[in-house]
Amino acid sequence: MLFPKPLAGIIIVLTLVLTQGCVVSRGTIGEPLQEEAISAIKKGTTTMAEVVSLIGAPDRIVRGNDREIFHYYYYDGKSPAMLLLLLNFIRMDIKSDNLYVFFNRNGIAEEVVYGKRTGRTQFRLWPFGD
Amino acid sequence: MTNVATRSIFSACTIGALGLTLLWTGCTVRRVVFNDVVTTEQVNFIRIGQTTILELADHIGAPDEVTESDFGVVALYNWSDTKSAALDFGALARLVLPYAPTMTLNKTGITPEQFQVVFDPQWTVRAYGFSRRTTDEPVVWFWPF
Repeated sequence: MLFPKPLAGIIIVLTLVLTQGCVVSRGTIGEPLQEEAISAIKKGTTTMAEVVSLIGAPDRIVRGNDREIFHYYYYDGKSPAMLLLLLNFIRMDIKSDNLYVFFNRNGIAEEVVYGKRTGRTQFRLWPFGD
Repeated sequence: MTNVATRSIFSACTIGALGLTLLWTGCTVRRVVFNDVVTTEQVNFIRIGQTTILELADHIGAPDEVTESDFGVVALYNWSDTKSAALDFGALARLVLPYAPTMTLNKTGITPEQFQVVFDPQWTVRAYGFSRRTTDEPVVWFWPF
C-alpha cells in the first residue's frame, strides 16, 4: 500500500480544502480606448465632430483655459480571491486609461494626451508586498 | 522501525497542520490597489514654467482628472492602496457547529493619495505637489482600537 488509510484520507481532505474557495473576478468601466482611433486624431486639423465619430462621445467634458477638453476613460480591475474555510485572501488591482483631447476656440484638436495603464493590471492573489 | 518513523512523521504533520490552522483561523486579508504610485523621484524632472502637460504625460502618464481652479487648470493623479484585515474568533465553530457565531475584529485603512499639477494658460507647469503622504501600514493589522 502506498499510503496508510488515515494519511490518504487526510491528503484527500487537504487537497479539497486547498482547491475549494477560489474566486476570480473582473470588472471594467467603459470601453477600451482604441489606439488606432487615437492616432487618427491630427493636431490642428481634426474637428470636434470628427473626434466624436472616431472615438465616440466623451465621458466628461471639461473646460480649462477657455478651451474644451474631452476626457475619455477606461477602468480595468482584476480580483482573485481564495476563500477557504478558515483563511481568506482577497486582492484587487485596478488601473485606468485616460485620454484627453484639447480643442482650441474653433473646435479643432490642439493637443492629445493619452496614458495607458490597464495593460499592467494583473491577477495577483498574494496581498503582501508591493 | 519503518512504521514507527512513518507514525511520528504523520503525527508531526498533523500537529503542524493543526497549529497552522489555529494560527490562521478566521483571518481575512483584503487589499485593493488602484493605479500606480507616483513617487517624488518620478516627478523630479518637472521644471516650473518649462515642463508642459505633454512632457508630464510622457513621463508619468495621463492624469486621472483635469479640472479648472481659480489658479488655472489642475491635473490630478490618483492612486490608493487599501488594506483590510479581519480576525473572526467564531470561525473555528464552523468546523463543529452548523451555525458559526461572528466575533470579528476588523480594520480597514483607505489611503487615497493625489499628485496635483497646476498649469498656466500655455499648459506649462505653474505649481505641483502631493496632497499628502502616508506612512506605510502593515497589510495585516486587525486591531481596531
